[in-house]
Amino acid sequence: MLASIIASGLAVGAVYALIGVTYNTMFSASRVMSFTAGQLGMLGGVFGSLFVLRLGLPLVVGLVLMLVCCAIVGLVTEFVAVRPVLKSLDQHLYVLSTLALGLMIQQVVAVEWSTEPQAFPRVFGIGGGGILDEKFWLPMLTCAVTICALELLYRRTLTGMAFLAIAEDNFAARALGLPERNLRMASYALAGMIGGLAGFSGGQLLLAFVANGPLLNFYGFVPVALGGLGNNRGAIVGGFALGLFQQAANFLVGGIFSSVAVFMLFIVVLLAAPRGLFGVHLARRV
Amino acid sequence: MAISSESAAGAMQEKPLAGIGSWVFAGPLILIFCLALPVPFVTNDYWVLIATRAAIYWVLVGALNLVIGFAGQLAIGYVALLTLGAYTTSVLVAGNVSPPVPVFAALAIAGVAGAIFGVIVGLPALRLRTFYFAISTLGFATIITQIALAWQSVTGGGIGLPGPEMPAPFHTHAGFYFFCLAAAGLITWMTANIAHSRFGRGLIAVRDADVAAEATGIRKARLLMMIFVFTGASAAIAGGLFAALQTYITPDAFTFDLSVLFFISILIGGRGSILGPMLGTVILTLLPEFAAPLAAWSTFLYAVLLLVIVLVAPGGIAALLDFGNRRALQTNRTIVPKAALVGHLLTMDKAKSGIALRGVVLSFLGVRAIDGVDLDVEAGKIHGLIGPNGSGKTTILNVISGFYGPEAGSIALGGEALKPGDSESRASQGIARTFQTPRIVGEASVLQNVMIGGTIRGQSTFVESLLCLPRHRGDERTLRSEAMTALSAVGLESLADIRADRLQHSELRFMEIARAFMARPAFILLDEPAAGLSADETLRLGQFVKAISRQGTGVLLVEHHADLIFDICDYVTVLNLGRVLAQGTPAEIRVHKEVISAYLGG
Amino acid sequence: MKNTRREFAIGTAASAAASAFSFPCPAIAQTEPIRIGWLAALTGASSAPAIGFDRGVRYAAETINAAGGAKGRKIEVITRDTQGDPTKAVNATQEMISQLKVHAVWGPTNSGESLAITPIMARAKMPNIHPCVIDSLIDPEKFPNAFRTSPSNTQWNDAVRTYCIKILKVKKVAIIADTTGYGVAAAKYSTEALKKDGADVVYVANIDATQPDMTPDMLRAKNVGAEAIVVWSTSTGMDARMFNTRATMGWDVPFVGHPSMSSGDIKGLLDKPTNWEKVYAVGYRSCSYDANGKLPPRNEEFVAQLKGKVELSDTLLWWVAGGVDAINLIAKAVENGSTSPDDIIKYWNSVKKFPGYFGDYTWSPTEHNGYPGDDVVMSDASSAKNGAFKLAPGYS
Repeated sequence: MLASIIASGLAVGAVYALIGVTYNTMFSASRVMSFTAGQLGMLGGVFGSLFVLRLGLPLVVGLVLMLVCCAIVGLVTEFVAVRPVLKSLDQHLYVLSTLALGLMIQQVVAVEWSTEPQAFPRVFGIGGGGILDEKFWLPMLTCAVTICALELLYRRTLTGMAFLAIAEDNFAARALGLPERNLRMASYALAGMIGGLAGFSGGQLLLAFVANGPLLNFYGFVPVALGGLGNNRGAIVGGFALGLFQQAANFLVGGIFSSVAVFMLFIVVLLAAPRGLFGVHLARRV
Repeated sequence: MAISSESAAGAMQEKPLAGIGSWVFAGPLILIFCLALPVPFVTNDYWVLIATRAAIYWVLVGALNLVIGFAGQLAIGYVALLTLGAYTTSVLVAGNVSPPVPVFAALAIAGVAGAIFGVIVGLPALRLRTFYFAISTLGFATIITQIALAWQSVTGGGIGLPGPEMPAPFHTHAGFYFFCLAAAGLITWMTANIAHSRFGRGLIAVRDADVAAEATGIRKARLLMMIFVFTGASAAIAGGLFAALQTYITPDAFTFDLSVLFFISILIGGRGSILGPMLGTVILTLLPEFAAPLAAWSTFLYAVLLLVIVLVAPGGIAALLDFGNRRALQTNRTIVPKAALVGHLLTMDKAKSGIALRGVVLSFLGVRAIDGVDLDVEAGKIHGLIGPNGSGKTTILNVISGFYGPEAGSIALGGEALKPGDSESRASQGIARTFQTPRIVGEASVLQNVMIGGTIRGQSTFVESLLCLPRHRGDERTLRSEAMTALSAVGLESLADIRADRLQHSELRFMEIARAFMARPAFILLDEPAAGLSADETLRLGQFVKAISRQGTGVLLVEHHADLIFDICDYVTVLNLGRVLAQGTPAEIRVHKEVISAYLGG
Repeated sequence: MKNTRREFAIGTAASAAASAFSFPCPAIAQTEPIRIGWLAALTGASSAPAIGFDRGVRYAAETINAAGGAKGRKIEVITRDTQGDPTKAVNATQEMISQLKVHAVWGPTNSGESLAITPIMARAKMPNIHPCVIDSLIDPEKFPNAFRTSPSNTQWNDAVRTYCIKILKVKKVAIIADTTGYGVAAAKYSTEALKKDGADVVYVANIDATQPDMTPDMLRAKNVGAEAIVVWSTSTGMDARMFNTRATMGWDVPFVGHPSMSSGDIKGLLDKPTNWEKVYAVGYRSCSYDANGKLPPRNEEFVAQLKGKVELSDTLLWWVAGGVDAINLIAKAVENGSTSPDDIIKYWNSVKKFPGYFGDYTWSPTEHNGYPGDDVVMSDASSAKNGAFKLAPGYS
């Protein structure tokens, strides 16, 4: 019993954590939070199922195609929903434009793909379905690999450091001649891929299901809210904590009340620490 | 503070202003209701049903318009309150928890429940950033539906329960329609009243210029709470009417799509407008009925519409209909303030002694912005504050304004300590200011922006404004005429009805000064008012500031224009690296060795 | 279909004559099409039943019209996609009543919608047949215009209960349902009914249909000694996950319950095809294969007629049959009277063992549940062929 909760809690928590990282990556590049982060997770699962099961492509090909498609969706997000509203950040139009885009993505999938959960392929075929089945450790592995890769990117490569620069101080970075727009587009493409990976690795748990979009939008945002915006480490911790809490609540309290419990926790923590538990002090307003 | 009527009349040209009484504003609204009246007589029950639905949605959306359109709080999960109201009304009428309650009483109780829940849903808005708040409202919507599902004994769970039946004569299609239409009309009238009151202007100030709002004394938390109470109550009553229309409610009727519809109606309509969102609601309710084959794509089309509006016409329908602001403005305008009018705005009877800072210290992230500053600003004198960039001038103003509390030291006004960090009280204590970068409500007219400055001097309560009672009307008349006088004083009266974001930068600075006058301050803090002014305009500004001080109002003037400072100031303080470098009369400072080397040059 | 060519010819001649003389003649009203409103949740969640019914509806209308119509009148089906949303259903219903002026309504297919529109249809006295299961929808006194062709929730419960207690002969039963309105209500009724019949309900759970791991809940059921699990969920994803978990746990317990467990899309969600064994879903004798692999004769002929015209492999036969029966019931009512609401309702109140493809319906002024309870059976969920199933073991 406990083992099941831990396995599924950490697994689904890893997915939530990765979506949190998606939110953070988009935010770092543009100071904007996007409602498409959760939809990207949903698309990871849907594309995986579409390419591998419905179209019968080999798994690696399906994975690569999924990454490409999700990167494109990330770019579309930047171009359509973020770039035009960057001038008027104070009006918070990005909430509306990304909400609209997210809804459009969701509806297209609902009408063209299906409104019911569809099967997701086995990746390695390891594990007999018990606690050590790949559907539990695959998301965790993906999360770990992604985090390490991001760390390498940010600390060791010039591009990664450029990403950090525009996140830290946009004006200074531009003054230094960094190609801000291209970097932002690259960041969004990267975020798209991370979101897609989250959905793909979690596909065996969450299935290819259009309702995962709003679900991941919310549950993927909680780690960001808890961990502090732009803070990937906080998002990881928050994601795992949320996953464990949610599965424990599902087990102890049961279906209907577990989402109430999660939400209550979310609101209480946020009201107590609006910047998140590890949040950073924001710039002066006056 | 008497305004002599002849000079006032001569000073300002009375323009037909688009207040609630004007036909420009009320006309289209009345027209829509006139068109709605004959619907049951010229169409069949189906169209009556659709029209009733639009009216019920407007009861919610009209109130929500104050939250989203005016206050700028993105409450995208507001179907939660519709659900609450629908269930409360139905449960009470059905008698599941108490003896059956008559319908109107049940609606009233639902309204109360909605008011309470509206505050709960809205509370996070005071602490959370925009996106976080938006997500939290989504969470509330989900929670309410879950509770409705789980609480089977009361709500019937998944099976739901019958909606309330209206008593005669409201139980027929037409009868119920007129009832809902009346409710819609009432909401329109009430929200229009609020829009044209200091509360409505306070909301848009909080939305677009929250720093200025604090400085003019608008209490954000209190104002938002009042709005959440009103909107929550209204939405819950709409929910009760919705349940009556549906005749039976189940949790699955309260979909996210409804939240999206409410939300998009307001944004399509345009923020800060009443007519726009009303048209938006009507359009979005009617649209699906004409596009039956596209039923599956209806949410997609709503989303596309939202995206298009946000990207192409963020002002929505209201901006498209705003013909008044299409007229070209005269180019090469110069600002000609009328110092003579200052006497109408500021009184002589200031008994307060000055502002006193002692040993104020303030750091940001480890860097000392102000390092032990003593400063005195006397009533009726102009005190200049100069220094290189980064010396702490604006920070001093911000400390006096209460945006930051000092780590050490004290601030006092008239001998009494000023509460550090309490920016919202400064206006009522007699301190007004302008800002280095004008903080204004771009979408509102110049006149409305100036009237915002007078918020704390309004007498009517929220309820009195809601119901357009005499004290509210008196407030509006007074504020309007005083604002026109202030605008005339700063020379901007010809631009009164123009959208503020069409003004030149320099004109906005003067507009801020007009706004500052409205609070009848004892002290005015001016943050680089001459920036961007021509030489002529700077001279006129100087005369103007002198007229202010002659009325007994103290002025603290932060400036880079050394000439202006030495020309008009009675006393000058020079800052460098957060410390006072020198203090004295302009003559003394001009020849002070350190000041010359650090700042003046030569 | 009855021979209506003679009536059709007379009607045409009469209308031609009347139009030549151009004055209104009662005969013209008699050639007006029979307008049937069809409230279908064709898109949105749980759209599979409506899609199936829709195929039957269209097939029946085309067939009748090809044979000359009912009493010489063409059938015109006006479809409104309600998307499972009670608000849209209310709008569409009022449109059908006041704007489109239909003669009868088939549907809706979604219980939540049906609860909202039943009072509206009753107020307008609109003749209505629908396949929704919730018991309170049928009440000859409150809703004299509403008739049901499918079994009620009670009849579904009876079949499941009977199977568990009499055929599987189990004492301890667990109930697992989803958290939708239907699931919550169904779990409650089922618990009460099983207890009344002397079974021991050892575990009841309402689980979010998107919960990824069903192991904790099934472990709990196993720990309290459940010998059968009754399932009331409309979610095929949740069903599949339970079957897979049962296999991983190495537990041999039978699943008995909701027809969604026999839905074609479960196949792709299973880890192994054998995970679908020992799953018994509500089914109907009319759409079940006997020991010889044959459907009842009438339906054998029906399936043969549908071949090439209506796809059955990705839907359920009883849905298609239900749609056909609904159109036929309306057409027959018009043939035996007229399109006036009173005539239609009077006819329906009089049918005894109406030979439908889904069932033999019997209605009376005091009973508007038309489906014979004995014909509700349990099917072997994995045995679908052409949308019909093998009977679960133990039936004669």
